[in-house]
Amino acid sequence: MTAYILRRLLQTVVVILLLSYFCYLLMTLMPGDPVDEMIMANPEITSADIDRLRALHGLDQPVWVRYWNWASSIATGDLGYSRTYRVPVTEILGPRLLNTFILAGAALLVALIVAIPLGVWAALRKNSTADYVINLFAFAGISVPSFWIAIVLILVFAVYIPLFPAGGTGSIAFDMTPWEAFVDRLKFLVLPVLSLSFLSIGTYVRYTRAAMLEAMGNDYIRTARAKGLSWPRIYLMHGFRNALIPLITITALSFSTLFSGAIITETVFAYQGVGQLVFESIQSNDFNVAMIAFMISVSMVLLMNLIADLLYGVADPRISYA
Amino acid sequence: MTDAALRQRELEAQPMWRILLDQFLEHRMAVAGFGVIMLFLAIALLAPVISAVTGLDPDRQNVFNRYQSPGSHLDLSTHERELRVQAFLRQADRSALVDFLAARDLLEFTVDEEDLLYELVTDYEPLALAEQLDGLMAAVPDQAREPLRDFRNMVADFRSFHLLGTDELGRDVLIRLIYGTRVSVTVGLLVALVAGLIGLLVGSLAGYYGGRTDAILMRFTDALLSLPILVVLIVVSAIDLGKVFGGTPLAFIVESRHESVIKMILILCLFSWMQAARLVRGSILSIKEQEFVLAARVLGAKDRTIIGAHIVPNVIAPLLVAVTLGIGNAILFEAALSFLGLGIQPPTPSWGNMLNNAQEMVQHAPTLAILPGLLILFTVISFNYVGDGLRDAIDPKSIRR
Repeated sequence: MTAYILRRLLQTVVVILLLSYFCYLLMTLMPGDPVDEMIMANPEITSADIDRLRALHGLDQPVWVRYWNWASSIATGDLGYSRTYRVPVTEILGPRLLNTFILAGAALLVALIVAIPLGVWAALRKNSTADYVINLFAFAGISVPSFWIAIVLILVFAVYIPLFPAGGTGSIAFDMTPWEAFVDRLKFLVLPVLSLSFLSIGTYVRYTRAAMLEAMGNDYIRTARAKGLSWPRIYLMHGFRNALIPLITITALSFSTLFSGAIITETVFAYQGVGQLVFESIQSNDFNVAMIAFMISVSMVLLMNLIADLLYGVADPRISYA
Repeated sequence: MTDAALRQRELEAQPMWRILLDQFLEHRMAVAGFGVIMLFLAIALLAPVISAVTGLDPDRQNVFNRYQSPGSHLDLSTHERELRVQAFLRQADRSALVDFLAARDLLEFTVDEEDLLYELVTDYEPLALAEQLDGLMAAVPDQAREPLRDFRNMVADFRSFHLLGTDELGRDVLIRLIYGTRVSVTVGLLVALVAGLIGLLVGSLAGYYGGRTDAILMRFTDALLSLPILVVLIVVSAIDLGKVFGGTPLAFIVESRHESVIKMILILCLFSWMQAARLVRGSILSIKEQEFVLAARVLGAKDRTIIGAHIVPNVIAPLLVAVTLGIGNAILFEAALSFLGLGIQPPTPSWGNMLNNAQEMVQHAPTLAILPGLLILFTVISFNYVGDGLRDAIDPKSIRR
């Protein structure tokens, strides 16, 4: 087990390193570099100045040399400076990361709470009208564009029925009690969480239904029925418990989807998270921030995948990590 | 079909495609989805025809008529009308028509003959003028009849009908949605097909050769699969193709009018082949152990023949399912990126970029925000249902005989 974890960790680190180089390469392919912007800002700049500036920022070096310099400063804990916010990258990142975790965690929770009962219900009433409707709902969930569902939610719950704010992370006020501040945060969370969870609900419903159907087809369910066990006991203890195994993997793996979805949801709702930071910093050529935010998102997802694999072994003792 | 006929058919041996078709037709939502897709394909193919018949142009802007509500009739601005008349006068010698109209006293004031047509189109409402001109049809001399009819038709076109209203630049929403169907569906189909082919190539190499090839290819595939794909796509679509292709034979892509469409297709292809590759590899692992592959090898078939003639045909069916489901995903990704302003660039309409500034305008023009999204939803859900139907149809466990 330890050997397995170590090997997987090592693999993950290699993937992250390769990706960071790949991403650095991509950033150099984006339109505009720091010096281009200085040239635009200053019409009186001479070509000698430009060369000097390029040399100063190391832009005359080949990509791998620049990457090496960048990576070694990262290794010493210097994440660089944001050109948009005029503060070190570390200062922006912390709260953003927390916000994204709150959003993604809440969305995951909502999605599971809605999807599992629906999936189980659909499986137990296979081919009924309820199954049909739930199935349609699940298909709609995986087929709807995430930004569109966000816009529709804003239209309905912020414009027509103004229950929730249309965007933002929290009100700007200094005289709120902790409780008021908490409620305020919640209000701002409702719409983003709803729109983000809607995407995962479809997937979870379909997986729950399939897993439950599979579990209910097993011989031990027949045995349980023959023993005369009560229905809830059969469904929950014998059926659902076995259906849980594939569900755990899907849930942990879906962190990748949640992080992907969060970038859209955060952008539409102007929610101050890592996803919005990635998008915003790319739009404004803030390369230091873009690189770090991208690397953090990717590392989070890779880590979650690793945890998913480990959880799988915990949930299903038949899996071994020899 | 009657019961007797059905029973008769069950007794006969059925060709494989017949069984699959029957299975597919049993999935009602898949059949409905197939119908929707065909409808959208027809609309996409007929877009230029629709444009010609209705006289609507996806790129024609009209800043005086922004955000008109659905079902509005709009008149061309006077400036536009004058431009049209100018073009009309340049087209051919119109003196017969002008002489004829000058004698008719259609205006309450007198103008020079050369200004007459301009004054007519600006002074009259388009429909009223067309009616007036219709009334003159009987009295017109032969040499002016043809020009009069052309003039009348042009005037009638000055009033346009916008079933779904106009957008932030006064362009007709309906025709933009129709042209958007073209772009979005093309991107979806092409991406899924190319991704399917890449997946087939990678998957069959990995599955057939196994060992180190397999390990390297599949590590790479898994690494790509585990990434938050949208985040990667956003970073990748921000790159400047000019810096990649500049100075290479591919530079023509950058100069092309469809640069953003081509770029979108390239980028989406790069990141959507992994599911197909895993699927193909999985099937090949089981197929290559079967007797007919051994038989082919014993007969001295080359690797190329074994893969191409014996293995690939057996993975086509599951691959087809993956490709169908991939179309929906590609459309969703294209829409998301275009919505963020990183995908298809205006003026080329796509469902995603039509939603680009819908968010700010959601209060004035909710239809602008709702319609493109609904089309995306309908299309993607249709492809997903068709994929589901295909999967059921080819699943040997679900074949009832």
